[in-house]
Amino acid sequence: MKRLVCLGFGLLVLGALLLPTHGVVAGGGFMANGLLPPIPVPSDNPQSDAKIILGKTLYFDKRLSSDSTVSCATCHRPDAGWADVTPVSEGVDHKKGGRNSPTILNAGYIIPQFWDGRAVHLEKQAVGPVANPVEMDLPLPKLIERLKVIPGYCQMFQAAFGTEPTVDGVAKAIASFELTIVSGNSPYDKYLQGNRDAMSASAVRGMKLFQGKGHCMACHSGPAFSDSGYHNLGIGYKSGKFADVGRYEVTKNRRDMGAFRTPTLRNVAITPPYLHDGSEPTLKAVIDLYDLGSVPNPNLDPMMLPLQLSRREKADLVEYLKALTGDPVVVVEPEMPR
Amino acid sequence: MGMSTRILCFLVIAGCLPAVITPAHAVPVFARKYGFSCTMCHSSYPRLNDFGQRYRNNGYQLPGREENEQTVLDGPAPFAGRTNFGYNRDRFRNTPKAQNVNELQVGGLDILSAGLVKQNIGYFLVYLPEIRGSRGLAAQSGTLEMANVVFSHVTSLNLNARVGRFEGAWLPFSAKRLLTIAPYEIYDFTGPSGLSLAATQTGVELSGGTRSGLRYGAGWVDGSTTNTSSDAPSDLYLRAVKVFGPGEGQTAGQRLGAVAYFGEARPADALLANERHSLNRWGLDAAVNLREWNFDLQYLRGSDDAALAGRPGNYVFSGGFLQAMYLPSTKWVGVARYDLVNTPDGPGADIKRWTVAGRYYLADNIAWHTEYSRRTVDLFGTSQAKEDFFTTRIDWAF
Repeated sequence: MKRLVCLGFGLLVLGALLLPTHGVVAGGGFMANGLLPPIPVPSDNPQSDAKIILGKTLYFDKRLSSDSTVSCATCHRPDAGWADVTPVSEGVDHKKGGRNSPTILNAGYIIPQFWDGRAVHLEKQAVGPVANPVEMDLPLPKLIERLKVIPGYCQMFQAAFGTEPTVDGVAKAIASFELTIVSGNSPYDKYLQGNRDAMSASAVRGMKLFQGKGHCMACHSGPAFSDSGYHNLGIGYKSGKFADVGRYEVTKNRRDMGAFRTPTLRNVAITPPYLHDGSEPTLKAVIDLYDLGSVPNPNLDPMMLPLQLSRREKADLVEYLKALTGDPVVVVEPEMPR
Repeated sequence: MGMSTRILCFLVIAGCLPAVITPAHAVPVFARKYGFSCTMCHSSYPRLNDFGQRYRNNGYQLPGREENEQTVLDGPAPFAGRTNFGYNRDRFRNTPKAQNVNELQVGGLDILSAGLVKQNIGYFLVYLPEIRGSRGLAAQSGTLEMANVVFSHVTSLNLNARVGRFEGAWLPFSAKRLLTIAPYEIYDFTGPSGLSLAATQTGVELSGGTRSGLRYGAGWVDGSTTNTSSDAPSDLYLRAVKVFGPGEGQTAGQRLGAVAYFGEARPADALLANERHSLNRWGLDAAVNLREWNFDLQYLRGSDDAALAGRPGNYVFSGGFLQAMYLPSTKWVGVARYDLVNTPDGPGADIKRWTVAGRYYLADNIAWHTEYSRRTVDLFGTSQAKEDFFTTRIDWAF
């Protein structure tokens, strides 16, 4: 009997030793933070070189704003992690919106778009800011009028779509370009692929906290580190009111009051400031906020709880988040068509 | 097998364990399902943190994500196990029939399965296979310790219904997920009615909560083991809790609770065994969290009908425990507890227990547990029965 028990335990330990070590992290559960899969391309907007070049040109073209001072790249700056460095960006006439510019990096993996999810796909999102009065303030019919008188654009639209400039074409072209702004191969990805030296010991500890005590992964799940869900953290809640009602504006469901879409955390270290209103300047400040259980309010997400993190644990989490920084995406600004 | 060989075996196995330690992964059922680490739900496994408590309260679904949950058919195999092995020393003095223990021991095996059958319908099952004890191997009675289905969000009141065999809301502090080997004495103490609050029960339980921190539960269960299979279930309980501040009182928030339990049992005396008599328990509890410190207080009073005790007047006992936990990180935890059970003069005896324990987590799911516990029982003031228990062991969930 004793021999059997000894043998059983021996086999148990051996079996555990033979378990795959990584890959379990990547594929162990349906919420696991795995490697980025190939970028999903919508069937109604297949990629083409002509479309991507057109989209890139439109992205950098300030003539897409009413006073020709603002382009997509003004608020989603390639030199600032394809986001903006200020809490909220300035549109035409220095008008300010209420929300922080999210990064374009890996935006193709994020569904839906915008902090409140009012656009499902990039194709819907891409022209939203053009017409927004506090962003680019150019009504879409006027945009098309402008593009139609620029021969260079007429040629590019012909090459990409076989048509003259259209709103649909603008949206699809910009979306096609944004689908190429992909940044993976981060130290974390390398770690997942078996390179144990890719992350520091502190980052590895941070990864465990991220998947456990920090509760981060409950929302920042999947390869893009976002569950595509909406959560209320109480940001901007004061005197019984939300400064921004968030998802509620779209659904009119009270459950969505003050809830915002989970942002991706890939490249998060290079895209401060943070949260939907850009109110936190550093990762440490965000973690401090989470550590307190965020801001109490009647609609607080039930997963938001005080974390009791130590100073070292907070530092480890920051190190892990830094390890999510992927290869830089360098794009040369194109010459504007005439 | 000689002593030196056994020590060698233990050291070899213990030495191998660090090799199993890998980035947070592959731990029982729920963690495997999501790809989470154990510490998502456990402050120190097996004790739940606030997140884990809410997950359990929500029928094994992440609150607010019910529509995106995978069922057991979609995810990894929903099975897990738990065992332990190590050194145990248990010495008794003035205790009739007690046998001293001094051995390296493999201590049982729990087999667990849990998950979702479909949205808002979860299940939890723990089976303990029968193990015949021998030197080096702890005996275990084969039993289905838990087997229940939980229906969540049954009404708009956020009500959950749990049916089957379960550890119910009558226990403010789980007797199945405690951090010491030594039990909570007041929960184990049966009195003449034979009702142990630590034992799982078969029945139905309704539970729920509000956003303001009110938690409640009510149930109907079989009750004492002295009841027979033909007895209609007659035990009812109510529990109400108020949590102040964010959390569930596990690692955050301050918790105050009360429980009342009413039931029936049969006397142990064979001549009176055709009668059923009443019993009741009521208690107050509190959990206080101050950063990495957790303090738990339980007071419980029980009364068994005089006919159950076979003596004039009801058998009234009281007691509880005071527990302090230090949880500085997910790597280790320290526990100190004082248990007390005051029994009435005559047939009973007061029980006191001091326990100190520490758990160091070699990995999230592998704890090196060391504990010392002294239990004394006053035997009518003439002598004192003592038990000194020491263990150092590996506790492994896989």
